[in-house]
Formats: sequence, structure tokens, C-alpha cells
Amino acid sequence: MIRAVLAMLALILFGLTAAAAPPKAARSDYWAFQTPAPQAVPSNPSPWIRTAVDAFLLDKLQAKNLEPSPELGKQMLVRRLYLDLWGLPPTPEQVDAFVNDRSPRAYEELVERLMASPHYGERWAQKWLDVVRYADTNGFEGDKLRPQAWRYRDYVVRSFTEDKPYDRFVQEQIAGDELFAGDDQALIATGFLRAGPRHVVGGNTDPEMLRQELMVEMTAGVGSAFLGLTVQCARCHDHKFDPILQADYYQLQAFFAPVTLEEVSIASPEEVAAYEQAKAAHEARLEPIQKTLKEMEKPWHDKAYEINKQNLEPALKAALDKPEEQRSEEEKQLASDAKSQAKVAWYDMLAVMPADIKAERAQLRRKLHAIELEAPTPPRAAFAVGNTDKEPPITHILAIGDYQHPLGEVQAEFLSAVPDFGLEVPGGAAGRRAALARWLTHPQHPLTARVMVNRIWQFRMGAALTDDPNNFGLLGAASPSQPELLDYLATQFVDLGWSVKAIDRMIVLSSAYRQAVATDEAKAKIDPDNKLYWRANRVRLSGEQIRDQALAVTGKLNLAVGGEPVLVPIEPEIYDLIFTEGEPDNLWPVTPDPESHHRRSLYLLNKRTVRLPLLANFDQPDTMSSCAVRSRSTHALQSLTLLNSDFIQDASKAFAERLAGACGQDDKTCQAELAWRLSLSRRPNDVERTLAVEFLSDPDTRLQDFCLALLNRNELVYRP
Amino acid sequence: MSSFIDPDLAQAHRIRRELRRRDVLRGAANGFGALALQSLLARDGHAAPKRVDPLEAKTPHFAPKAKSVIFLFNVGAPSSMDTFDPKPKLTEMHGRPMPESMGKVGGQFTDGSQPIFGSPWEFKPRGQSGMPISTLFPHVAQHADDLCVVRSFTTRSVVHAPAMYEVHCGRLFATHPSMGAWVTYGLGSESDNLPAYVVMPQPEGTPEGGPPCWGAAFLPAVYQGTLLRPGPTPILHLERPPDMTESRQRRTLDLLQKLNEMDAGQDSEMAARISSYELAFRMQAHAPEAVDLQKETPATREMYGLNQDHTRDFGTRLLLARRMVERGVRFVQVYSGGGPIFMQWDAHQHLVANHEKMAGHTDQPIGALLTDLKQRGLLDETLVVWGAEFGRLPTSQSGNGRDHNPYGFTMWFAGGGTKGGRVIGATDDFGLRAVEKPYTMRDFHATLLHLLGLDQHQLWYLHNGRHEKLVDFGGNLIEEVYA
Repeated sequence: MIRAVLAMLALILFGLTAAAAPPKAARSDYWAFQTPAPQAVPSNPSPWIRTAVDAFLLDKLQAKNLEPSPELGKQMLVRRLYLDLWGLPPTPEQVDAFVNDRSPRAYEELVERLMASPHYGERWAQKWLDVVRYADTNGFEGDKLRPQAWRYRDYVVRSFTEDKPYDRFVQEQIAGDELFAGDDQALIATGFLRAGPRHVVGGNTDPEMLRQELMVEMTAGVGSAFLGLTVQCARCHDHKFDPILQADYYQLQAFFAPVTLEEVSIASPEEVAAYEQAKAAHEARLEPIQKTLKEMEKPWHDKAYEINKQNLEPALKAALDKPEEQRSEEEKQLASDAKSQAKVAWYDMLAVMPADIKAERAQLRRKLHAIELEAPTPPRAAFAVGNTDKEPPITHILAIGDYQHPLGEVQAEFLSAVPDFGLEVPGGAAGRRAALARWLTHPQHPLTARVMVNRIWQFRMGAALTDDPNNFGLLGAASPSQPELLDYLATQFVDLGWSVKAIDRMIVLSSAYRQAVATDEAKAKIDPDNKLYWRANRVRLSGEQIRDQALAVTGKLNLAVGGEPVLVPIEPEIYDLIFTEGEPDNLWPVTPDPESHHRRSLYLLNKRTVRLPLLANFDQPDTMSSCAVRSRSTHALQSLTLLNSDFIQDASKAFAERLAGACGQDDKTCQAELAWRLSLSRRPNDVERTLAVEFLSDPDTRLQDFCLALLNRNELVYRP
Repeated sequence: MSSFIDPDLAQAHRIRRELRRRDVLRGAANGFGALALQSLLARDGHAAPKRVDPLEAKTPHFAPKAKSVIFLFNVGAPSSMDTFDPKPKLTEMHGRPMPESMGKVGGQFTDGSQPIFGSPWEFKPRGQSGMPISTLFPHVAQHADDLCVVRSFTTRSVVHAPAMYEVHCGRLFATHPSMGAWVTYGLGSESDNLPAYVVMPQPEGTPEGGPPCWGAAFLPAVYQGTLLRPGPTPILHLERPPDMTESRQRRTLDLLQKLNEMDAGQDSEMAARISSYELAFRMQAHAPEAVDLQKETPATREMYGLNQDHTRDFGTRLLLARRMVERGVRFVQVYSGGGPIFMQWDAHQHLVANHEKMAGHTDQPIGALLTDLKQRGLLDETLVVWGAEFGRLPTSQSGNGRDHNPYGFTMWFAGGGTKGGRVIGATDDFGLRAVEKPYTMRDFHATLLHLLGLDQHQLWYLHNGRHEKLVDFGGNLIEEVYA
């Protein structure tokens, strides 16, 4: 009733044309809000069926008289598996090992081996970080580094590698501090709630507005990642076709009202002591340079100040020159204005500094920055959340989402269309998020398991079982293409202890997964969008995979796992895009160890306002909102980057050196053979070999050019 | 300046037609053009797969008034009451406190208790319309009868970055695509040799909002703004590496394309990828020509101020902007200001020195751009927009500057079917708040789309289950702009 009144009030106040909210019953009838029903696996004697997944799919295929496509050959199958499970191409040795393994369980064993590796966790982490819009910086003009945030990224890698039960994974991210006190990893996990962008700026900003933005980000994060609902649609008003009401939205937001942002030390006292000592030693190295710089700058700073002062209006100057205690009220104001007008900025000082001193100063600053890069790593801390020890702020429904137009007050309550499973939300600050986490991970919850198995499916099969994996609401998928399969996977997921690997295994071991990317006009006529999975979908590699693959092919890839984000060298054009009002040097302190520049893309600094062209051009998400499925565009800037960038040039050169090292400069056939095996995991066919040898024998071309062509090839950037 | 006649003028139309016709015949002379590809595929007994070109020119929702946009964004925010919105009341009450009836309205750094600051510049009636423009913009003032000035825009933040995001992307958070990305998504490109959406920041630095101001957000990356820089290598990675000759690159690409054709089969995306290499190669050949200002007459270069230190940079970028729209580029975004405070319009102190400098950089080039577009017959189909993230307060900061004011500020349009010599909306006597016909950025965006033949409600993209649009909730068309 209150809800209806509020909705009406919003309508009257803001003249919205949306119809009155449909009754609650209609919303809870919607398929996604029904607890997934256990599904019997269809019985079908077909030998094509390897896992239950196939039985569900084959049923529907046969109903349309469709045959699945043939299985991918062993050589391409192993390539697909490595690219999917590790995100990396297999080495020729890894391909051979599988192709030559005649054991009937060769494929299963390979899957197990791949799933046991941290590279499996890394591959999953890239996907999960898209969903939670993870970045290493705040965004906006400051776009400051979040120095400890990367521990959350490593937590995600570890969780997927260890197959942490998904219910626990959800609980830790929402309420690790409340539910698992004393567990550092669970505390780090709450970094999830802070993964989104945040505006940090000085001056008279409205704290209430900033707080509301924080609440919106947290609510949206939970909605997208776990509920598979774009809850923020309801932020402004009710929608006729949306199962989330505006009141629901703010009731969900109220779970986060007590949240405070915390950097919690998880370091041992010894670690802290060691750091303090190292820090003092490091500062002792910086101090003499800082002192010299200060002394060097002082006369010019003073000179600039004198000039600025001379330029002041006489009244201001007079007020400034007067001893402070003798100034009248008016003169106090004038003097204060005078001070701020005469303030010396870095460019004022540089403008009066002679060229030779400027050069000396620049050199000193470079030296200083180089030493700064050697700063000891601060003791471990969790980029986490906690609860306020005060009365938590009251949450209001906000008309059109505007904090200046509060309507009724709401309490933290579970979504009205989903049962509360007898769980209660504490009224105080503590325990709200714990209740939310328990509710989300209740075995009967209709959304949590469905949303995750749908993500696993989409990740491996190249298309989700619903139109949009981030939206199970009415505005998104009307109904899933394979509702029985979705429910089967969801119930199995819970029954098998929320094991992501169990579902993942069920999918990649299936015959459906092993199909080729076949083309068949007759079948395409019946099912043009491949909703029935009569073939494998064509999947383009992500920008991250394209980069990692190029490094792997050339033998330069550094497979170290985890740690602080790496700053690779960037183009001057990209450097210039880093906003600063300060002196524009040292804005991108490149990580000194050159080996680190060949780390996997997952570990490169993800700065919200500075995107690396190779990744951004290949549709890397912008980290400003949750990304369930990456968009996929094809355009000329991708080609320019893959032809001319320093990265690709270095890669082609290294690739050429690798080929020449193994085959010598003159054995063109050997070079071609090896190049194909390294890059495409197969041998060249006759046409390819001829083309390659022809090109390599041309006196006007270089081995490096040949390598460049291969690194750009279509076949290389699509999953087989 | 308006009496200036470019010797090339008579040929301008012919050149433009020729430039676009050349685009259509996309680089067949380059050896592996689209025609070659078609024939290779046909040879294998395949019908050529349909090429998916996300930038293919698309039909607007209704007849457009403008075909392309030049968006001049003034980073840091020029003051409205010192440029296009005269407030004699401020001069009259200079140094006195704001009347209590106005309330205490502060900006990011002041609290509204500071004294009133009368404009240091004189306003004069200009053109037939008599539109008042201050002495900061003498060249722009000569085009008063082409300007459509809206004095009553508002944004919702006193801080640069969020307000910039609102102007560029319609949201205070940079969660959404920039309007250039939306327009490119909606209309595609008329140029096959150049990016559809180009951005030219101030060389000294980027605006506070940074790249999200020309980002594609959740739209495919193909719709993002591409940086364009003056000089021989205008586009990132356009230049071949120093040790790569053109002929060797050709051979390399020939090998690549032969291999790629083996992979393409019937797949339209892979076919598109083959085309993207053709385009990249063409871009390498054509883009340097497109930015070669030596092709312009000395008189044109002089008109844009390329011969003077203070106007050279901005003039160069505006001349490039004209060359871009002439070649079918859809959206050109040019920044005046960026990076350190001394290169922004952000006059918290020293309003006079700051605005004299920044207006000095831009006034003559903007006047030249309007003259040039007009004499080439391009002004009718090119919408020029001049604006910022907010205006500045009527009160002073530090005695001689002004703080931010998002409560009422000026932007103007020219060309692209807008009505010249017109002033729309009004702020109060102090220039503090928009009081007559206040317009939001939603209204601005709805109007901009409308001028381009796009319906704000029909231009959407499904993201996370929501029909996302540039204009959330819909905006009111500012009909006076064009009717």
C-alpha cells in the first residue's frame, strides 16, 4: 500500500507516464523468480551424448530435425581448450602431447590438468573483473591509484583456481568482514563493494550527493553481479515490465547504508616494523635530492613571487605589505586575495628559471622519480569495507533518483518478488550485509545459481542461455532459450556444493562444446542464431588474449602469477591524455623490470581514464559499469595498432629471432613449419607453405615482416 | 574578415564532391582493394560474404538539418557574463554584496559571500540582430547574425569532471557513451579514409574529464572518438615503423590478406576484418594528405591565424576541423584548454589575463571557421557548437577571479539549420541562475540529435538489459534553435 502511494506520488510529482505498478503476485510469477525445479535428464540412446548438457540440447535439436556439427579435430580442440581455460595458446609440445595421447580419457585428463592451474583462475578472473567493473584507480580527474586494490584481483584468481564454493565466494564479497572475521582473504573480498568508480575531489562538493553515488555503485554492483538484474532501472521510478520496484531498489540500497570504506592492515607487526625501517632508509635516499631541489628552486620561486606581487593592484599590495596585526577587516580580505593572486604555480617558477638550471632541475627530478620507483611495498592491507559505529543513515526512496527529492523512508529488505527464506535483517548497522549474503546464497534462491551457471555457459559456449547474462529481469530476457537446461545446471550447481569447476567441466566435456564452427545453410535457415547449439559459435579473442598470445608465440610471455599492477611503456599520445594540473612529468612511472612488461594483460595497470590502445581498440570494457558480454567491433584502428605499434613490432622481431634461432636464417621451410606450429598450433597446408616460402625467399622482405603478417592473421584472433 | 574570398572558393563544392566520390571508389588502386577481394572470393565459387561495416552511413530517423558537428569545448568554463550574456547590474553593483534575496550561492571554492564582480569588458550590439557580444570576441562578433545563443543552460555539478561528463555523455558519472559516439553509432560515417569521430585536445593537456569525454563506454569500440593531432602522423599508430618501407608493408599485407581470405569463408566478421586492413592502409595514404595544411592557400592559413603565435595552435586545429567535415567526418570535437590551469578557462584568479589569453587564442580562428564554412557552402550542413561544462559566478574569487557556476550559463550554435541572430532564454539580473526557459543538458542533447535527424527516443543501445540512450528520460527540444 505504502509502495503504491509512493509510486503514485512519484507519478504526480514528476509527471511520469509509467502505468501503476502491477500487483506483486504478477511479478513473483515471473519465471526467473521461481526456484529452479530439478530436471530429469532426457533419456536418449545417442552415442553423441557425453554429459547431461548434450542430452538436453539433443532433445531440442532432434525436435527440429537438426544434427549437431562434427567434432573439431584433436589439434584444434586442444587449441580451443587452452584458449578457453587458460586464455593462452598451447605450445607445440602441448599440442603434440594431446594429439599423441591415445588414451580414451586423454581429453578428460587434459581438462583436469588445465583446471588445476592458476592460469585457469586468471582466465576466469578476467571474466569476473569485467562483471564487477574492476579497475586499479578511482576514475574522474584525479583518477588516483588504489594501492592495495589488486589484492582483490588476486583473491579472485585464487578463488577460481581453488574452486571456492560459489556461495562462499558471494558471501565473502558482500560481507566477508561480518561473516568471517579474522579471515584476511574474506576481508580483501569486500573490495568488491568498492570496485566501481568513485569521485574524489576537493572543494565544496556535496557530501550527500557523493554518498548517494557510493550507494548507487554498491547496489548496482550487487544487482549486476549476483542477481543478474539491472536494479538501477528502478532507481528513478517503477517500470511496468520490470520485476524490481523502486521501493525494492532503495530497500536493497539500505543494506549498504551503514557501510564505511576502510583500509584494514592485515600485516604482521614484524612486517610493519620491517616496512618502517625500509621506508626510513628509502626516504634517506630521497631527502638529499629533495633538499637540493628545494634550494635550487627557492630563488626562482621567490623571484616569481616578487613579480606576481608587483602585478597586484596597489590596494592589494599595500594590504599585503602591512603587518598582519595592523590590517583592518577590509585589508585582511584584501591581503587574503592578494596572497592567492600572487601564489606561485610551478609554471610561474619555471618561467623565470634560466635554461641551464631548468635542465639541471629536470635531471634531478628524473633521478628522484627513479628512486621513488624503488620505494618499499607498503605492508599488506585490505581495500575493504566496514560498518559505521554510529547510527546508520536513513535510506529514503528518491524521486527520479535525486537525493534532493527524498520520498518515504525504507528499511533494508529483500526483494519483494523473492521469498525471504525466514531470514531477518538486523535493524542496526552490523549484520545487514551478512543477512543479504545469506539470502542470496540460500539454496532455494531463484537467481543466484541461475545467474552464475548462465555466465559459465556464456563464457564457454560463446552465447548465454538468456539474451543478457546481466539481466534476468523482464526488460531483458523474455525467457531462456533452454529453460530446462538452465534449471538443470542451476540445481546441479547447488547440489554439487556450488562448484564452478563442476559446471564448467560438464560443459567443456560435452559433445556440444567440442563441435566445430561449421557453416551449413540449411541448418542456419532453421536456427539462424544458433539458439539450439547445432554448431560452435565463432568467438573472437579478447584484446588481452591477443596481447598474451603474441607474447606466448614469441616466447617472451612472463607467466608470473599475482602481485602489484604493472605499468608498461605507453605511447606519448596516450601519456598526454593523463590529466594533471601539476607538472606533467612522472605521470606514468613505468615498472622498472623489463621482464614485467611481458606479464599477462590481467596484471597491467587498469586505469579508468587511460586505456591502452591495443586492449581498448579490441573492446576492452571501460570499467564504468558492469560488463557481462564484451561487445565486438571490427575497425581500422585495430589494424593500425596490430601493424605499427611498438608492441607488435617488438613481438614480430622476437618471433623472427625465435624462428631464426631454431631453424637458422636460411631454412625457409623449417621457419614456416615452426611459425605455424607456434602461432596456429598446426602445420601449414601446401598452399600456405608455398606462400610462406615464396615470401621468405623474396630478397625484399624480412623474416620479421612474415612474422608480423602471421600475428595479424584472422585465424589467430578467433577461437577455432 | 567576412569580405575575404578564398580563391579556391569557386571550386570548393567540386572538390568536396570529388573527395567523397574518391571515398566510394575506396582505394581500388591499392592492389588489394575491396574489388580484388570480391573477385578472389568469387573465384572460389563463393558468393562474397556480406561485409559488416559498423560505420556504413545510415539513414537518419527523419530529414536532418545538419550532417556533421564541430563541437568547440572550452575547458575550465568561460564566463557567460563576460562574453555573451551582458549584466549591467553587476557593473552597477560592483564590489557590493549580492542582495540577500538572491540567496548565498557558492561554487566549488567560494561560499557566495564574496562581493559582486562587474564585467571588465564592454558589450556592443553586433550585426543586423544587434546581439550583444563582449569585446573579448571581436571576430566571432562579426558572425552575430549566424549565432544562436542560448543563455539558460544548466549542469548539475560545480566540479569540472562530472559537469563535463554531463555535457559530453549526459551523466555526471562517465558511465555512458559520449554524444559523438552516439551520433556515429546512429549515423555512421561518410568518409572511408578517415575515422568517423575525431577529437583534438589542447596540446598542453587533456580536459579534466579525460578520454571518457570522447569514449564509447558500452558501445562497441568502433564508435569511440579518435585522437587527431596536427602534423604528419595525425592518428596513433598511423605511421609505419622507421624500418618498414611502404613496398615491404604492401608485400606483408598482401601475404596477410591472402592468408586471411583462406580463413574468411562465409564469415562476415572475418570479411570485415579483411576490409579493416584495406582501410588501415588507405588511412596511411590519405590521412596525412587530409591534414596537410600546405594544401591550403596562404590567405586561408592567415585567416585562421596560423601566422601568429597566439592563434597558431587553435587555428591549426580549426582548419583541420574544416578539412575533416569537408571529407565526410561526422563529429569533430575540439578543445580550447586542458592540462595546467594556465591553459584553461578556469579563471579562479586573474579573470582578465586569463580570458584575454584564452579568447585571444580562439576568437580569430572561430571567426575564420565560420567564414570559411560559409563560403564553402558547408555551414548549412555543419553544426558548430560552442560551450563548456558551466559558466562562472557573478561574485569574485580572490578579488579578481570567478568560481564555477552551473546554475545558468551560455552555449551557442551556428550553422546546421540553426537560426542566426537569435538569443534564447535568460539568466537573472546577476547572471547567477537561468530564470527564463532554463534548459538542461538533456534538452541540449535532444536538440543536437534532432538537428542531425535523430530521434532521441529511437537512438538506443541495449546494455545490461536496459535500452540506454544519450538522453535519459527524454529532453525537451529547444525548438527556437531551429524553428
